[in-house]
Amino acid sequence: MESVGSINPSKLSPKDLLWRILWDKEKCRLCGRCTAVCPVQALDLGVQRKRVVNIALGITETPSNVYGIFHGIRQKTDLSHLCVGCGMCELVCPNRAILVVRNEEMDKARFHINEGGNPRRRGGRRNNPASLLDAIKFTRISMLTDPALDAGRHEFEVRTLLGRLIPAEDMMKITREGGYLPPVREIYPLMIGSMSLGALSPNMWEGLQMGVAYLNEEMKMPVVICSGEGGCPPKLLRSRFLRYLILQIASGYFGWDEILRALPEIKEDPCAIEIKYGQGAKPGDGGLLMWHKVNQMIAAIRGVPMGISLPSPPTHQTKYSIEEAVAKMIQSMSMAWDFRVPVYPKISGSTTTLAVLNNLVRNPYAGGLAIDGEDGGTGAAYNVSMDSMGHPIASNIRDAYLNLVKMGKQNELPLFAGGGVGKNGNLAANALALIMLGASGIQIGKYIMQAAAGCVGSETDRCNVCNLGICPKGITSQDPRLYRRLNPDDVAQRVVDIFLSFDQELKKIIAPLGRSTSLPIGMSDALGISDEAAARRLSISYVV
Amino acid sequence: MNNNDYMRIDGNENGKRLDPRRLEEKIQKAVRDGARKLEIVASGQQGIGGRLWAAGEEPVYLRVNGSVGQRVGSMGFSNTTIEVEGPASDDVGWLNVGAKIIIHGHATNGVANAMGQGKIYIAGDVGARAMTMTKHNPRFTEPEVWVLGGVGDFFAEFMAGGRAVICGYASAYENVLGYRPCVGMVGGKVFFRGNHRGYSTNDAILTTVGDDDWKWLSQELVEFLNAIRKPDLLATLTIRSDWQVLRARKPFEKLAANRRSVKAFASDVWNKELGEGGVLGGLSTIKVDRSQITLLPTGDLRRYLPLWKNEEKLAPCQNACPTGIPVQKRWSLVRRGMMDKAIDLALCYSPLPATVCGYLCPNLCMSSCTRTMASLAAVDVRLLGKASISAIAPQPAPPTGRNVAVLGGGVAGMSAAWQLYLAGYNATIYEEREELGGKVSATIPQSRIPEEVIHAELARVKERIKVVRMTLDQNCFARLCEKNDFIIIAVGAQKPRILAVEGAEKALNANNFLRQSKRNETGVGDKVVIIGAGNVGCDVASEAHRLGAKEITLIDIQEPSSFGIERKYAEAIGANFLWPRISKKISDRGVECTDGSFLPADTVIFAIGDTPELGFLPAEIKTNRGFIAVDENFRTSLNQVFAIGDAVRLGLLTEAIGAGRVAVQAIDSEVRGTITKKLQPVNKERIRMEYYPPGDSGMGDMNGNACACFSCGMCRDCGVCVAICPQGAITREETPDDDFTYKVNENACIGCGFCASACPCGIWQLEENANIL
Repeated sequence: MESVGSINPSKLSPKDLLWRILWDKEKCRLCGRCTAVCPVQALDLGVQRKRVVNIALGITETPSNVYGIFHGIRQKTDLSHLCVGCGMCELVCPNRAILVVRNEEMDKARFHINEGGNPRRRGGRRNNPASLLDAIKFTRISMLTDPALDAGRHEFEVRTLLGRLIPAEDMMKITREGGYLPPVREIYPLMIGSMSLGALSPNMWEGLQMGVAYLNEEMKMPVVICSGEGGCPPKLLRSRFLRYLILQIASGYFGWDEILRALPEIKEDPCAIEIKYGQGAKPGDGGLLMWHKVNQMIAAIRGVPMGISLPSPPTHQTKYSIEEAVAKMIQSMSMAWDFRVPVYPKISGSTTTLAVLNNLVRNPYAGGLAIDGEDGGTGAAYNVSMDSMGHPIASNIRDAYLNLVKMGKQNELPLFAGGGVGKNGNLAANALALIMLGASGIQIGKYIMQAAAGCVGSETDRCNVCNLGICPKGITSQDPRLYRRLNPDDVAQRVVDIFLSFDQELKKIIAPLGRSTSLPIGMSDALGISDEAAARRLSISYVV
Repeated sequence: MNNNDYMRIDGNENGKRLDPRRLEEKIQKAVRDGARKLEIVASGQQGIGGRLWAAGEEPVYLRVNGSVGQRVGSMGFSNTTIEVEGPASDDVGWLNVGAKIIIHGHATNGVANAMGQGKIYIAGDVGARAMTMTKHNPRFTEPEVWVLGGVGDFFAEFMAGGRAVICGYASAYENVLGYRPCVGMVGGKVFFRGNHRGYSTNDAILTTVGDDDWKWLSQELVEFLNAIRKPDLLATLTIRSDWQVLRARKPFEKLAANRRSVKAFASDVWNKELGEGGVLGGLSTIKVDRSQITLLPTGDLRRYLPLWKNEEKLAPCQNACPTGIPVQKRWSLVRRGMMDKAIDLALCYSPLPATVCGYLCPNLCMSSCTRTMASLAAVDVRLLGKASISAIAPQPAPPTGRNVAVLGGGVAGMSAAWQLYLAGYNATIYEEREELGGKVSATIPQSRIPEEVIHAELARVKERIKVVRMTLDQNCFARLCEKNDFIIIAVGAQKPRILAVEGAEKALNANNFLRQSKRNETGVGDKVVIIGAGNVGCDVASEAHRLGAKEITLIDIQEPSSFGIERKYAEAIGANFLWPRISKKISDRGVECTDGSFLPADTVIFAIGDTPELGFLPAEIKTNRGFIAVDENFRTSLNQVFAIGDAVRLGLLTEAIGAGRVAVQAIDSEVRGTITKKLQPVNKERIRMEYYPPGDSGMGDMNGNACACFSCGMCRDCGVCVAICPQGAITREETPDDDFTYKVNENACIGCGFCASACPCGIWQLEENANIL
C-alpha cells in the first residue's frame, strides 16, 4: 500500500489545481505519447492497485481478496509539475482518452507558487478576457448618403505613414531653403510588433520575417516587422529584406555593435528604428533572457558570450529626463543612418504618455510614437507586473490623438498602438477601432503567435511558459527539440494568410464608410459603444 | 413600315413635359385599347416600354423618338419590341424580362443591369457597368446584349448569365472591354472583338470561340446588323479569328490564387538573397539543422532519456547498515537461486556475520526497510545472518606487501584485520587478552548468542590472521609504528566510568561483572540495583537474573536509552526501570537517591559506560574527552594511525565493524588508489509498493523473505519495463559475468518514462537529454 504521507501547507490535491487532467482507462492504449510530450512532466504512469473482495454466500467457502494491478496516466500535484493546460497530451492522444479541463473553482496552487520567496513569473498575457476594443462598434455606415464602396469589388490601397510629416506649406519653404525633410515610410497599417530572436525561436522568427518579405515582394503589401531587442542576424542585415524591418534598440543594447559594424555593408536602409522604453504588458519590469536560452546562435547575434543571462534593465541608464532621453536617443539613432531612417520611441501605455508626446511634437527628428497597452504580451515577467501594471490602450491612444488635435499636429506625428489587439480573435475590428480613435498603425504580437504558429496561450492562464524555454509549439524555445516542431515555411504561409484575410476584413469595415485609399485615422464619428462612461471617456457615440 | 400604322403618343402636352406617370398611363391605355404599334415622342421620361402585358401574346412595337429617359425598356415583356431612334440614357433594359430593345446610337451607364431575358441591340458604345447582375433563368432563353462599339468600365460585374457580344467596331479602341471587366462574374459569356486591358482572371476564362458558339454568333450577327440597319458590316465582323470569348469560371475552376507558393519563395527568393546558411548564416560554427521534426521523435531528439541505473543508489537497508552490507543484493541472489553466493557475500563486509547480523545486531537495516512504509514487516535479515555461519570466505586480493598492525582484537579490530586480509595486506592483531572478540566473547551474556556461533566465527578469523599477545605501552606503540606502514587502534573502552558519589567503591562495574558472570565467577544476592539503564545495563540485568537475583532495578537520570533485544530480555525477567533517579550515596544496604528514595540492594553495579585506556598513545595523537579524535575516515591526527570502535566513540557492534571497513578503504585508496564510490540512498517514493499485496503471509523462510524484498535500487529482473514499454524499445541482455542488463533501443524509444514509473525497484531514471545545438 502506498503511504498517503503527511501534509504540509503546500501539499495540493488534484482539486486544488488550475488544470485537471481527466483520463479514461477504457480508451487509453498506454502509448506513452502524453507523458513524452508534456512540457512540464505533469503526467506520469501510475502503478495502481485494484482489489476485489469475493464474499462467498455459501458457508463452505471463505471470503477472499483478489488483488490486481493496473497502469494508468496520473496527474502530478506537486508545485514543480503543475499542469499548464497546454493540451499537448490531448493533441497526441490517439484515442482521445485524455482531457484537460479547467477547474471549476479557483485553484489553490496560486497561493503557493512562491517557493523560496520568489513570486510567480510567467510568459504570456494578462489573463483577462475582457476587451473594451471588442465592445466598440462601427456605427457610421454609408446608407445612400455617400457612394458606399464594395469591399469585394472596389480596389483599395490602404497605407499609413511612418515618420514625421511636414505640412505642405512648410514643406515648400523647407524645400526652397534646402532644409531638413524627415524621412517618411509608406507602410501597411498592421505591423508585427517587437519580438526578439531569442525570445522567439529561430524557426518562428524566420517564419515571421519570411512571411513579411513575401507580402512585400509577392503581394505588394508593404508590411513591416520590428526586430525586437537582441539584434539582427548578419545575413538579414546585409540583405534587401532589411527594408521591411524596424530595428529595435532597448535598454540592453544587445546586438547593436554588430548592427553598427554591418553599416558599411548594408545595402538597404531599415524601415525605421524603434527605441523601446517600455512594454505594455510589464511596465517598469525589465527583460531577462535566461542563460539556458543563450546558445551559440543567440550569443552570436547579441554579441555576448554564450551561457550567460542577459538582463535588459527597466530603464536606460544614461538618460535622466524626458528631454534628454528622447532627444539624445532619437538624435543618435537618426544619425546612424544619416537621418534617412525614421526613428520613434515605444513606451508603455501610461498616464504620463502626454508628457512624452508633447516632447516629441517639439522634436523635429521624432518620427512617431508607439504606445503599448496593458494587454500586450511578454516572454517573461512577474505575475504582478503583468496582472496589475499598465494602462489600457484605447483611452491612452485617444488622449494622445486628441492632444495632437488640440495642437493641430494630428497629421504630423503618427501614433502607433498595440497591446491586446485581437486578443479574442477580432483583429481587424480591434485594429480599426484603434485607428479610428487616432492610431496611424497597429502593432500585433500575441495574435501573430496564436494565428501564425498555433500558440495555445489564452486569457485563461493556459500554457504561459514562454519564460521557461519549454514552449510546446516551438515558438519561444531555443531548444531544437522543440523549435524544430515548427516549420518556418508554414509560419510564413500563415503570416501571408493572416495579412490577406485582415486586409479583406479591413475593407469590409472601411468600405461602408466610403474609404478606399485613405485610412480613417481618428474618424471617431464612426465609432459607438454601449457603455456610456466609455463613450464619454473616448469621445465616441453612446449607442444602445 | 407605314407611319400611318403607328399611334403617336407625345411626351409633351400643351408644350409641357408629361410626368412619367402620365406618359405611362397613356401608353398602357393605348395598348389596352388595342394599339399594337406606338410611336412615342419622349421627353426624358423614365421607364418607357415596360410591362405591356395587356397585349397578351400579340406583339407590341414601340418606336421612340425624342430624348429617351433612363431605363427605357425596363421590366419589358417578351411581346415588346422597342426601337430608340437615337442614343439612350442609363439602365437600358433594366430588369428586362423579354423585350427586344434596339438603340440606334450610344447608351450610357448600366445597360441591361439585372436583365433576366430579352435582347438589347446597341448601335454604338455603352457606358459603365453594362451587363451587370444579368441572370440566366433556365426556364427561359438567356438574355443577350449586343454592342456594336465598346463598353465602359466595370463591365459584366457579377454577371450571372446571358450573352454579351461586343463587336468593337468603329475607330481603333485601345480597350473594348473597359477597366476591370467581369469582376464577380459567375455565369454567361462575353464575346468580343478587339483589344482589352485585362479582366478579372479570378472570375473569368478567356478562350477562343468554339464551333457551336461561332455558328450562333455568325447567325445572330445577321439579325443584330439588320436590326441596327448596318447589314453591310457582316463581312467585317464575321472573321472568326478576330473574336474571343470570356466565360465565367465554374466554382471548381476558381483559381487558388495565382501566385508563387511560400515554399517556392523560401527557396527561390528568401534563401537566395540571404545566401549560405539562410537567415542564421554566419552565426554558428557548426551547421544547425532546423528542419522539421515530429512531436515524438526518437534518438537524440528525445527530450528525456530512460537510463537503467542498477545499483547506483543505496537501498535503505544497506544505507542504514553501519557495516554497509548490501542486504538487497543478498536477497536478490536468493531469488536467483544462488543461496551460497548470498550467504558468502556477508564475509566481504564483516568477519562476524552470524554473530552480529544473526544475533547481536539491533538490525538497523530492518528498521529502515521500505516495506515498513507500507506497514509491512521488514524482510528478516537475521535468517541470512544465522546462515552465514557456514559462509565461505572470499579469496583475498593480491598481496600489497604492506604491514598493518591492528591494536586490539575486539570486534572493531577483527573487522579491520579482516578487511586488510581481504585487501591483500599483512595484518597482525595485537591483543592483550587470550581470546579475540572483545565484548562479544567476554561480556555479552550467553542468553543472547550460542557460544558455538562465536567460536566458529572467531576460528574463521584466527585461521587467517596472525594474532600476537601484547600489552601496550608508549614504547611498543612507537616500535609498531616503525615496523608497520599503518596502525589501526581498536583497543575498545575498558575503563568503566564510575560516579563520584559517596560509597562508589562499594559498587561493581558492568564490564567486570559481565566478564566474571560469564565465567560464573560471581554471585549477586537477591536484590540488585543497576545504575544506568542502557543496553549494557539490560545485559547486566539479564545476567543478574541468571545468577539468581530476584529483584532487579535499573535507574537512570533520564528516560533509558536501551532498546531492542537487550531491553526486551530485561523486561522479560521482570526488571524495574526507574527514572529520573540520581544516586546520592551507595551503602552496604543499597542506593540512596537525591529524591530521598532508597533502593535496597545486595549488589550495586555501574553500567554508565566505559572509556578507553589510552596510556600508550603518543602526544601527537589528539584525543577528545577521553576518546581518540578522528576524521571521517577514522584517521587520527597522526597520518599513519587510524582509530576505530569504542576507542573513538561508544557504539554498536555493527558500527565498529563498519569503521574497520572505512579505515581499510582509506588505507587502500592511499596505497593502491582504489576509489570507493559514495552512493546516495534511493528515494523510497520511487519504489512501487503497489505491486506487493498487503499482509505478510508467506514470508516465513528465506525464499519467502527474498520474494517480499522490494529490491530497492537493485534490479529484480522482473521484466516489467520490457512489458510496459509502449515502443518495445527495452530488451534484457545476459552479460558475460553471469549477470544481466537492460538496454534501450534509442531508435524506438520516445522518452515517455513509462519504464521509470512502472519499475518496482526505482532502477529506471528518466533524465533530461543533454543540450544539443
